[in-house]
Amino acid sequence: MSVRLDGDAIRLDGPARVEDAEPLLALLHEGPGRTVDLDGAGPLHAAVVQVLLALRPPVRGTPADPFDARWLLPLLGPGS
Amino acid sequence: MSELLEQFLVESRELVQAAADDLLALESAPGDPARLDGAFRAVHTLKGSVALFDLAPMGAALHAGEDLLDALRRGAVAPDRAAMDALLALLGASEAWLDAFAADGRLPDAAAADGRALEAALRARLPGNAPAQPAPLPAASPDWLPALLEREAAAIAPARAEGRTLAALRYVPSPDCFFLGDDPIAIIRALPAPVALHLAQREPWPADGPDPFTCNLVIEAVFAASEAELRQGLRLVADQVALAPVPAPAAPPAPSSSSRGLRVDAARVDALVDLAEELVVARNGLAHLVARVGEENPALARALAESEAGIGRLAERMHRAALGLRLVPLGRAFARLPRLARETAGGLGKEIALSVAGEAVEADRAVVDGLFDPLLHLLRNAIDHGIEPPEVREAAGKPRAGRIALSAAREDGWIAVTLSDDGRGMDPARLRAAAKARGVADDAAIDAMDDAAALDLVFRPGFSTAGTVTAISGRGVGMDAARAAVDSLGGRVAIRSAPGEGTTIRLLLPAGAAVTGVLTVRAGGELYGIPVDAVAETARLPASAILPLGAGEAFVLRGRTLPLLRLAGLLGLKPAPRGGTARLLVTGGAERAALEVEGFGGRLDVLLRPPQGLLRGLPGLAGTALLGDGSALLVLDLPDLLARGGAA
Repeated sequence: MSVRLDGDAIRLDGPARVEDAEPLLALLHEGPGRTVDLDGAGPLHAAVVQVLLALRPPVRGTPADPFDARWLLPLLGPGS
Repeated sequence: MSELLEQFLVESRELVQAAADDLLALESAPGDPARLDGAFRAVHTLKGSVALFDLAPMGAALHAGEDLLDALRRGAVAPDRAAMDALLALLGASEAWLDAFAADGRLPDAAAADGRALEAALRARLPGNAPAQPAPLPAASPDWLPALLEREAAAIAPARAEGRTLAALRYVPSPDCFFLGDDPIAIIRALPAPVALHLAQREPWPADGPDPFTCNLVIEAVFAASEAELRQGLRLVADQVALAPVPAPAAPPAPSSSSRGLRVDAARVDALVDLAEELVVARNGLAHLVARVGEENPALARALAESEAGIGRLAERMHRAALGLRLVPLGRAFARLPRLARETAGGLGKEIALSVAGEAVEADRAVVDGLFDPLLHLLRNAIDHGIEPPEVREAAGKPRAGRIALSAAREDGWIAVTLSDDGRGMDPARLRAAAKARGVADDAAIDAMDDAAALDLVFRPGFSTAGTVTAISGRGVGMDAARAAVDSLGGRVAIRSAPGEGTTIRLLLPAGAAVTGVLTVRAGGELYGIPVDAVAETARLPASAILPLGAGEAFVLRGRTLPLLRLAGLLGLKPAPRGGTARLLVTGGAERAALEVEGFGGRLDVLLRPPQGLLRGLPGLAGTALLGDGSALLVLDLPDLLARGGAA
């Protein structure tokens, strides 16, 4: 997967691996309040899901993986 | 056997094998981190999956093995021989336990004590002799279910209304699961038909965000699937998961939606092979009809002949394809040998370097499965009798560790398996002397043998060149049993040796299944098969022509007196009373004998399979064959049966 900063958003693309959790965490620490764009992302690794759950950044977009879109997406985002 | 159990057994054996491969590789490359990780992961996964079944002593011992491997990985313990021995002993025991569990559905009574001893030996290697850490039982609490059902009621209600079987799970992945290559979400994603999913944290998230390398998740979910289906998908993390059925109104279960792989019972593949064979034979009948039509209507005959040829090609292709389903790589027979060879060498105070090549060469399953025992015997024999003690080797200018090479290759439709060592070799003169001393053959015949024939003497029954009988291979029943096993697979054994330089044993085996012609006979009211090769002729004889001879009976056939034995008696069955006519068959070979049977069936070509399970080790049995109606035919090994019956 690629984790990259696109303006104010962090874009996740393609399948996520365990190694992607650390850069994602670093980008979220650097800029609290950044939105995570999941459009075209997934399947997401549990390590990445865990970062999104713990920090609860706003998320947008629809993951490419149907399981992630149907079951994980509703659990992510602030204050759910 | 349930599919879950079957899959567990297959995977567990693979994990034992994978761990053993890594440990053995570590001996030549101590501390190789990739191998240590590999062994650790395999033992960890194995420990996780044994939690599925009632295998507590095995689980506890594996847990200690996992702790030791973890300490090795962290560098807290040196990967010395003692640690490797303890770990390999654990794998050996695990393999034996799995065999026992497969056979009896439970561990042997001694397993608890053996497991504790292994555990103690493994923990003794740990720094500070750490006591057993209690295995975490994260999901044991039964009170998670009501809360889950209440929270997810909205999602569960519609599925329940459809009358679907529902099961809930609580999965607390171990904190280090990311290191082990597990992705808990991927495991959940692979389960069939999710209905509800809930994620939470095991411990409060640290203020500065989660540690990206430690899993802190608790996963709760409901699926429209049975517990058994879920258990299947969760089997590798079974120790971290709790399952519970969701109470549901009685209703037909949801049809299974998972159809990823296809595991087919070997017997069904065999049935397909048999059908394909019958099809090939049935097509021969068609060719005969085409020839008859040709006399009356040549045009029709030509068209029929074309169509018949097409069917013939298809039937043969189908036969080949069906036989191909039975092909498995020889690696299956080779895989356990390095560990067993190491054990043998260790027990004898010898050092060996075993190389294995050609594991990917494929042969019929019956051949591959039947090859393990003779190969193990030949290998042990090479270590015991071929390879010299390290000091002797050094004095002879050889490396301390004896080299043994096991390889396989395809040769014109045959599989050649070669086992060669650089040990002391065999001396034909010594073999001749030993053969005479043991009366393996008469002295004149032995003297007349050239060196190649003299080497072949080691395969004669009752021959053993070891000065003392050892526990490893000197029981005097080994080499001849190995040759008999290879013979029964339709193969041949050849031996080459040079004193001081080593010995090479070559097995030539059919790549496909051996089709054996058998004659079916009735004895003691049962049907048996006898390989056609073993029968010189069959005859009917008036009962009056049979004469008492000592304690037995005999008759005269073409001027020669032959002893007459009853097949039913040899098999320990009650013979049917003899009528006015005796039906008998005369065996081939040098020492002719006649066997009386109660009736002759017909001639069949069968796929002879080596005896398995309970039948294994049964005297006088060459193997079993599946008949067209699905019943099994026991095929007898006449020379063996007569040797035993004659001695009694």
